[in-house]
Amino acid sequence: MSARRVAAVARRIVSQFRHDRRSIALLIVAPLVVLSLVGALWGQTQNATPQVAVATDRTPAAIADRLVASTAIHGQKLSFDEAQSRMREGKLDAIVWVEGTTLHVETEGSDPIRNGSTAGAVQRALAEALGSLGSAAPKIELSQLYGGTDYTLLDYLAPVFVAFFAFFFIFLLSAVAFLRERTSGTLERLLATPLRRGELVLGYLIGFSVFALLQAVVIIAFTVFVLKVQYRGNLATIFLVEAVMVVGAVSLGLLISAAARNELQAVQFVPLVLLPQVFLSGFLVSLEQLPSVLRPISYVLPLTYANEALRAVMIKGFALTDPLVLRDLGILALFALVLAIGAVASIRREVA
Amino acid sequence: MPWRSLPSRRANITHVSPAAAVEATDVRKRFAQIEALAGLSLSIHEGEIYGLLGPNGSGKTTFIRCLGGLLRPDAGRLAVFGVAPRVAVSTGRIGYMTQAPALYAELTVDENLRFFAALQGVTDVERRIEQSLRTVDLLDRRRSVVATLSGGMRTRISLASTLLHDPRLLLLDEPTVGVDPVLRRDFWAHFRGLAEKGVTILVSSHVMDEAARCDRLGLIRGGVVLAEGSANELVARAGTEDLESAFLALAEAKA
Repeated sequence: MSARRVAAVARRIVSQFRHDRRSIALLIVAPLVVLSLVGALWGQTQNATPQVAVATDRTPAAIADRLVASTAIHGQKLSFDEAQSRMREGKLDAIVWVEGTTLHVETEGSDPIRNGSTAGAVQRALAEALGSLGSAAPKIELSQLYGGTDYTLLDYLAPVFVAFFAFFFIFLLSAVAFLRERTSGTLERLLATPLRRGELVLGYLIGFSVFALLQAVVIIAFTVFVLKVQYRGNLATIFLVEAVMVVGAVSLGLLISAAARNELQAVQFVPLVLLPQVFLSGFLVSLEQLPSVLRPISYVLPLTYANEALRAVMIKGFALTDPLVLRDLGILALFALVLAIGAVASIRREVA
Repeated sequence: MPWRSLPSRRANITHVSPAAAVEATDVRKRFAQIEALAGLSLSIHEGEIYGLLGPNGSGKTTFIRCLGGLLRPDAGRLAVFGVAPRVAVSTGRIGYMTQAPALYAELTVDENLRFFAALQGVTDVERRIEQSLRTVDLLDRRRSVVATLSGGMRTRISLASTLLHDPRLLLLDEPTVGVDPVLRRDFWAHFRGLAEKGVTILVSSHVMDEAARCDRLGLIRGGVVLAEGSANELVARAGTEDLESAFLALAEAKA
């Protein structure tokens, strides 16, 4: 293993990027554009007050008055049937009525996120109503172990976006770069020099890690200072998780380039590699909510562990020495090692 | 004459006897259904220009890639300066110029040459880059991005990149394909200059008029050497007018 030859390959990758300004721009600008969109979309807490009808024909008048008076909801008094038809027209989020000691809440239900916030608002309204009635109101105090009521959806999603962008761009760029190396004849030229295959792969890993970390710095700075995402935990730990994940992403890119014959085919591998990681790595749906059939798949996806580790560090403020973070880092390192060995093996001198 | 000779690091080494630079004995290589090399035997002396002549698909490139350590022969013995090709490659004794110029188009000439020099462990990088570029008369394009160069210029840069580490054996796979007549003449003048300094050169070609410029020729077809000798010897042996008809006569005699 010659450090000089590894450095030569890494330096060449960096030079190629420097000449290819457009790729750098995409690497940095594309995530910021997407994050800005996500920020605008999910950055505000959902505080649209729901439209709620209290069914007067089924609810004691005292309770109905106080529910309608609550600021947590836009309350109005309607008959049950009238309320039903209003909800079908899309003008109501929920109908409330009381039977005996049971409070019924019927929500519109077509939008799960809105559904949840409506239920919460009704709960708050009822607490207010019962409290002002002086009856034995169950005092509801909301608190959270992690995050906080002021956390928006973006705060929870930011860590996984950081991991996803690094993985996606670095995987794609390294796959295409190495494919060009294979198809343009430069790989053959390289293999007819003292350069060893392991040195070539290591040079690629180092060269691409430079850009992955550059991207991570920009993304994290952007989310912290522009989107005001709330992070806890140590930045160095975040970068360490990123770096280990990126080594796996580059190696996977090199591996895929062995299976593709041209750049178009390489791009077609992107959804195959990426979509399972989007759906099954805890990005959109938490692992506990996944159907048991799919769960084994999520355990073999690198992004699953990167997401878990980054969430632990960024939201829960776990330190590098926390067993969960160490375990995830170890698994990511194992992925990186196996994929890198696979990448070396995929470079055969016998290229027909 | 734009070509200036490339000073060699081994200029003072005298060659006592014409030792074998390449020794191939019954080399065989099969790809699925095709037997690319079917028991090829030849030997190339140190310091000579050896022309590997044959039609497309005769096994020229396969043989050159075996010598460059890119393919492993299925059977037979293959030695470059007495060692296995891969060993000769990793000790910097071989320079391999691929059929198509293998350069990084988005990098400058200087960046390309610096990269290959580093891979070969060249120590006096500045001087070697300058010398190699002067050799192919492109010193003034050192800062140019390769993508902006013409095809002929790229071929010359490709040659310069194989000369950086002062190899003892140059493998040139059809180096003059797509090169204009003037440049081709210059290339050959330069090959001759290198050979005079003791560099062994293996050139593959399917152009017969280039063959006369080689010291010795190997006529290859179907993965075997049909005949070996200087151009004059081969013509005399076949009893024909020129090399082209000699090749055809020798090929038919063998078949």
